[in-house]
Amino acid sequence: MYTAQSVTALAKALFKEERAKQRLDGWFLTREIVCNKAEELKGLSKELRAAKELEAIVKELPLSISDYALFAGSQSDAFARSYALINPAFQVETFSGYCDPTAVYGDIEPNEEFTKERIERVREFSKNTAYVKRLSAMYDRFDPYTEEVAFFIEQVTGHIIPDFRPVLKHGVKAILDELVQRMENESDPYKRDNYQAMTIALGCVLTLGKRYADLAAKKAAAAEGERRSEFKYLEKTLRKIPYNGCETLFEAIQCYMLLWELMCLEQAPNPFAFSVGNADRVFEPYRAMENLSREDAAALLKHFLVFFNVGDRSWAISQNLIVSGRDEKGNDLTNPTSYALLDAYFDMNLPQPILSVKLHQNTPVKVYEELGRFFFSPGVLTPSLFNDDSVFELLRARNVAEDDLKDYSVAGCQEPLIMGKDNGNTTNSWLNMPKILELCLNGGKSMITGKVIEETAPVDSVTLLKNIRETFYTTCEHYVDLMCEAANGASKAISELPVPFLSCFMGGVSSGYDMRDTEHQGTPYNGSGCLIHGLSVMADSFVAIDKLLAERPEDADKLIEALKCDFVGYEDLHAFLKAAPKFGNNIAVVDEEAAEIANRISDMVAAHKNYLGNPFRADWASPTTHLTYGYWVAATPDGRHAREQLNYGVDPLYGEASGGMGFRILSNMKLPFAKMGGGYASHLGIDPKYFTADTFEGKGTDFANRVIKPLFFNAEMKDRVSPFYLYVNVTTPDTLRKVLADPKKYAPNGVYIMRIHGTFVNFLDLSPAIQQDIIKRLDPHSTEM
Amino acid sequence: MNIFQKGFNYSQDGPGNRLVYHLKGCNMHCPWCSNPEGMSTSVGTYTVMTPSELVSEAISSKPMFFDGGGVTFTGGEATQQSVELAEVLRGLSENGINTAMETNGTYRQLGDLFCWIDHLMIDFKHPLSERHKRFTGLPNDVVKDNIRLAIAKEKDLLVRIPFIGGVNNDRESIDGFLDFFKSLDTDRFRVEILPYHEYGKDKWEKCGLPYAMQHAFVSEDERTKFEQQLMAIGVAVIRT
Repeated sequence: MYTAQSVTALAKALFKEERAKQRLDGWFLTREIVCNKAEELKGLSKELRAAKELEAIVKELPLSISDYALFAGSQSDAFARSYALINPAFQVETFSGYCDPTAVYGDIEPNEEFTKERIERVREFSKNTAYVKRLSAMYDRFDPYTEEVAFFIEQVTGHIIPDFRPVLKHGVKAILDELVQRMENESDPYKRDNYQAMTIALGCVLTLGKRYADLAAKKAAAAEGERRSEFKYLEKTLRKIPYNGCETLFEAIQCYMLLWELMCLEQAPNPFAFSVGNADRVFEPYRAMENLSREDAAALLKHFLVFFNVGDRSWAISQNLIVSGRDEKGNDLTNPTSYALLDAYFDMNLPQPILSVKLHQNTPVKVYEELGRFFFSPGVLTPSLFNDDSVFELLRARNVAEDDLKDYSVAGCQEPLIMGKDNGNTTNSWLNMPKILELCLNGGKSMITGKVIEETAPVDSVTLLKNIRETFYTTCEHYVDLMCEAANGASKAISELPVPFLSCFMGGVSSGYDMRDTEHQGTPYNGSGCLIHGLSVMADSFVAIDKLLAERPEDADKLIEALKCDFVGYEDLHAFLKAAPKFGNNIAVVDEEAAEIANRISDMVAAHKNYLGNPFRADWASPTTHLTYGYWVAATPDGRHAREQLNYGVDPLYGEASGGMGFRILSNMKLPFAKMGGGYASHLGIDPKYFTADTFEGKGTDFANRVIKPLFFNAEMKDRVSPFYLYVNVTTPDTLRKVLADPKKYAPNGVYIMRIHGTFVNFLDLSPAIQQDIIKRLDPHSTEM
Repeated sequence: MNIFQKGFNYSQDGPGNRLVYHLKGCNMHCPWCSNPEGMSTSVGTYTVMTPSELVSEAISSKPMFFDGGGVTFTGGEATQQSVELAEVLRGLSENGINTAMETNGTYRQLGDLFCWIDHLMIDFKHPLSERHKRFTGLPNDVVKDNIRLAIAKEKDLLVRIPFIGGVNNDRESIDGFLDFFKSLDTDRFRVEILPYHEYGKDKWEKCGLPYAMQHAFVSEDERTKFEQQLMAIGVAVIRT
């Protein structure tokens, strides 16, 4: 019925249609439906209430199928036009996080249909929910610390990798049957209640499928020729799945999309960073059942990729697909669908979903060859790269079972979680070490605003500087205590919004508990994330202080004054501090300092327990918060100016690693990656001129041999855990400036994909501040080869 | 040791990924030089490292010496710091680190360093001594002697010819190169032709020095023809 070419043409038309959407109102409708149901659902347990709310949403939400659609399903009703990075109004100066859950109501433009009064009514309802009240109380209580970001906390939505494989294989009916059995055998009324909620929630996907089947029938009746047959086939598929298991790739993709749509609706608005996991392994059995060719499989998967793009700027950000990788014994798991997915990604070059590739010691050369076209085609997406050999060690240290290792994937950006089993609350807490250092140096008072955050006893400057490390670590411990208490408070607030549907795919059917339950562990693995900021700024600062005390002790008491006035009038001291050794140049004293900080702070974070008594996970990533948090940090002893960005992830501060790629990698390799259980971030901006092979395949293998293998699979690292994450932008600052100056010439279709932390984005969609950050952090001297 | 530049590069100055040190100071003054800031300590900036500091840095850099890589010394002219260079080469060899050196070949005692050098690159700028002296300031007799010695000692030798319009691309010069190579055992060395470029032009200006080269580019055809002539007499020609 279809050809690969016709399927591809439909996918491209579908994407074009989606990008023309200027309004996203569906999420509001979901909230309004919940608001309207509130009175009727009063008195139910929160889990049952959540299930009934979802039931109402699925019954009442307007649905449609595009003329260009091959499959039914959309994420457009779950996301608002909110995400800061791609919002042209974003400014570093005014960004204050996503802590107000009712702020989203400001992201919908009132019109005749969605009047101001209508929006305000639902906002007021939302404000009075138990969730918003608990969360607001927590933010109010910790506001003195979060206002200038000594730390930050947030309630975590999305950021999960559901395991839909059982439904694809056996159909929803199998899980419904299991739930019936569990209810019959369960005496605990709380669990029985949860099972009932899960049963209702799971039934919602059948309702969704039926509504789409009816729509497909209508479309078929109105269509002619091939299109009619196609809609009939869609209807037939939707009458079969998701109740029954899948037998073709088409059925599997359709089934997956329905489940995903419902999962997002359950958490609307803005459940960012849900991830598919190893999409190649999820879909390969169904491709293989019909022995579909790579080309035909790629064509179908293009529609799957379009599904992840929402609205005019692809607002559903940070949804991640991963391919390739190994099992626990070291066997490579790359399969034909891995390559089909790469083809689909390359041909479509969409701003979402994010592509990641798992690598290991025995990754086939073919994988590297196939990746060459991504790295070396200007404006084309580039995958982030994971080192399975290291991640497996990390997960073993987190007591992950051997059988589960291969099922790790990344939630959103770079946080490794086990598919279907791990609730990592990855973005729960955020620690700003340089701000804490500032407070240590200034008696607990902000050098930016003069506000007292927590006053400390006065100490003379020289004594303070001599003891700065222990003062910092002691103070940091105190702030981490507060941060974790606040973060746990946010997790308890979000537990007011159970997710019975998602819980079915996160171990809830076995455990009997909702995955957001803060009293009982609903998922096999659980933890809470802490994103730690400013590693190299801290290391560089400690070493600069040492140098000052050793070489210019007479100037020691000038340092704090110099920091307060951002070195104005202290230019000589500033030059001295800037000349101190900096992380990223393979200089032992400062690299070892960075390793020590990473060790101690990781241990400090991991010693803190979340709401279920599980450790917080140290995540050394700064997803653009190196900008927003840096804005609240005064000048630092390394010579960094006030309000300048912090270093990104575990990377050197831009401009400070001037010795090129080799030295930079050597510094990086000294860090204790085994302690970075929550992940970390690192980026290299690489000039394509260093790779001179004639073909993409050749450039791909050169890239593997000269960048990836030395970093990930270095024989000299045999006794230690090697780096395990990297993303790259293979371009130059000049090229990007040209793209901005003349987008029509360099990106005629309006899309020029760049990587920014864990996600990739259309460079042209970004706010100017973020565009400039990308250009700045290419930092070409740090990657000279 | 006075070092005006250091960093890694891949397969350009010896095999694999190499940490390349550019040592300050040169006894020639080639007007096409791409590193004029390396000619003298009175021009440009530099850092000072002791031989033991350099060896320590190289040891800490071992993870990056992949694909047969190691440390390369170039310049300036590396042998201008021959005492420290000998010490550091010995230190690297003792620590199992692969070494390479690029030299203009004018150091009379170059052979004393051979035992610590795994890969030797000698720049051979002109076959005719008088013209060699006119362009570089020095005659080429020692250069030729060192090439002969390296071959006799069976060193891994790459002879590099900067191929420059108006300097050594005329018939007489090319015949001179060919005649010299014919007098050697052509199985025991390789040759690389490095066509003239202007990468150093801006640096000359930054150093406050006049850039005197004009009309010095050679065509790809000229280069290829020269390479074919070399191969015709049995010389292995490489491009990096």
